[in-house]
Amino acid sequence: MRRRPLLLAALAAPAIARAQGIEPADTPRRAERWRDLKQAIFGDRPVEPAGAALDLSVPPRALDAALVPVGLALSADLAPRVTAIHLVIDENPLPLAATVRAGQPGALRALTTRVRVDAYTNLHVVAETDDARLLEAARFVKAAGGCSAPMGGDLEAARQRMGRMRLTLPEGSPGPDRAVPVQVAISHPNTSGLQMDQLTRLSIPAEFIRSLRVTYAGAPVLEVASDISIAENPTFGFTLAGRPGGELRVLAIDNRDRRFEGHWTLNGAG
Amino acid sequence: MAWRSEPDRLTPARPAATSRRGVLLGLGAVLLAAAAPATRPIEVAPGLFVLPGLDEDASAANLDALANTGFVIGRDAVAVIDPGGSLAHGRLLRQAIEAVTPLPIRHLVLTHVHPDHAMGAAAFADCGAEVVTHSRLPAALAQRGEFYRRMLEREMGEAAAGSAVLAPTRLVQDRLDLDLGGRVLALQAHPPAHTDHDLSLLDGTTGTLWTGDLLFVRRIPSLDGSLSGWMLELEALRAKEALRAVPGHGPPAVPWPAGAADLTRYLLALRDGTRAAIAAGIGIAEAPARVAPEEAARWRLGEAYHGRNVTAAYRELEWE
Repeated sequence: MRRRPLLLAALAAPAIARAQGIEPADTPRRAERWRDLKQAIFGDRPVEPAGAALDLSVPPRALDAALVPVGLALSADLAPRVTAIHLVIDENPLPLAATVRAGQPGALRALTTRVRVDAYTNLHVVAETDDARLLEAARFVKAAGGCSAPMGGDLEAARQRMGRMRLTLPEGSPGPDRAVPVQVAISHPNTSGLQMDQLTRLSIPAEFIRSLRVTYAGAPVLEVASDISIAENPTFGFTLAGRPGGELRVLAIDNRDRRFEGHWTLNGAG
Repeated sequence: MAWRSEPDRLTPARPAATSRRGVLLGLGAVLLAAAAPATRPIEVAPGLFVLPGLDEDASAANLDALANTGFVIGRDAVAVIDPGGSLAHGRLLRQAIEAVTPLPIRHLVLTHVHPDHAMGAAAFADCGAEVVTHSRLPAALAQRGEFYRRMLEREMGEAAAGSAVLAPTRLVQDRLDLDLGGRVLALQAHPPAHTDHDLSLLDGTTGTLWTGDLLFVRRIPSLDGSLSGWMLELEALRAKEALRAVPGHGPPAVPWPAGAADLTRYLLALRDGTRAAIAAGIGIAEAPARVAPEEAARWRLGEAYHGRNVTAAYRELEWE
């Protein structure tokens, strides 16, 4: 992973040139791009189609290119064997949006996040298994301008709450034999560095979360290495197993080495 | 502004309700079918003219003439309010002004920076008018100007050439009175609402409130500031003593405050529905189809843009 910025930066230029194109999903150029990206990220390791065991859901047309929800569900058989998920947005300036590693088996059974999409693009996920297989799935997304689009909304309010974290447990705390969905989010602009200040002609500097770690009752659950393709207020949903009453801790670090921490005790009552 | 659909969808499917409403609203139906920008201004109050916008997405054919633009004539001078969506649209407005009055254009007021309201400013670059905006508009222009320019190019092609926002020369922090000679326009800078830099004007002489996009009628509202803030500002605007309002989108004028009823209902449904979705653990991917779905059918372009408003509301309200 350490060589990623160098390799992917070399692949970035054509994406920007085509940012406004409306090229169909299945052109030879898109297939070639994915071959190049696979080579850059996974080297010569074979990547097989995941088939029905990996269900990737992305809106075919994004409502907001700067916030495209991505959901991933693994089959019951596959889920405990998946150790990492790589999320790749082929046409983005930095295509590898995130790598999410499971700290406990099954943590990636249902994974969600929100990304920026800079041009009509294929979005790939590659699941890595405990026997070192790579399984891929893809969806085509129609959206454009997410990386260079400026943020809207109440920017002052967003600045003021930077670093605040949210925990969502739609089905309550985990229990014996009951893994539950969990979503953690951190308020952070996650700026891409691709927006230009018209007055100074300088890029607005990138500020983004590069690492997020989740532990429960002291044991690792999830580890995310992320980049500018993750939408503002980085949000990750995953699956948590364990006894109730433990402490869920989140540690996030941004590219300026600012550390943000959150912790919650998950009570037994659902 | 109206949120734009992607370039391969120049004509979003219109909900069935549109045609019914079109019949009811006669003029609106004609404009909708014509797809050509208005050239004849409508005098909605003495000396206060509106060039009505189209309820469409931007295209080369419609010159991005989507917003209501217009002007107010005093004894000594003219104020332009929102110069239009492109250089060509701004020129239509300027011709309309010159056909009505020989008085000089001294003030160019931008209610906010969205391109359908502001990109026509270039048509007024040579008339020496001061450019009056909210004090936060320059920051928004710095962040988004280039993005909007490229977006307009994508939508209009070569017809977008020369369109630009002029740099503000007078900033409104809170309130400012513009004296046109015997006629004062009271400007108010709002906290984040439709955008984070909305400006409204009250023409006390005729009791006309010019809202910019703080008021949408007929066309689906677009949320780009703060939903909670917008509801508060709309409530305060409703209490203003005005006979009529000129909305940013919709008819040239509506009775006030009755004309705010649909928007008030929409924002409330959006807020309550989104809060309920967040509380129920419904994710941001599922919320657009499940929050106030009945509202999408009640507005022009609603099917294309309601879901985006839900996404924007969700982004804001999940951090309440």
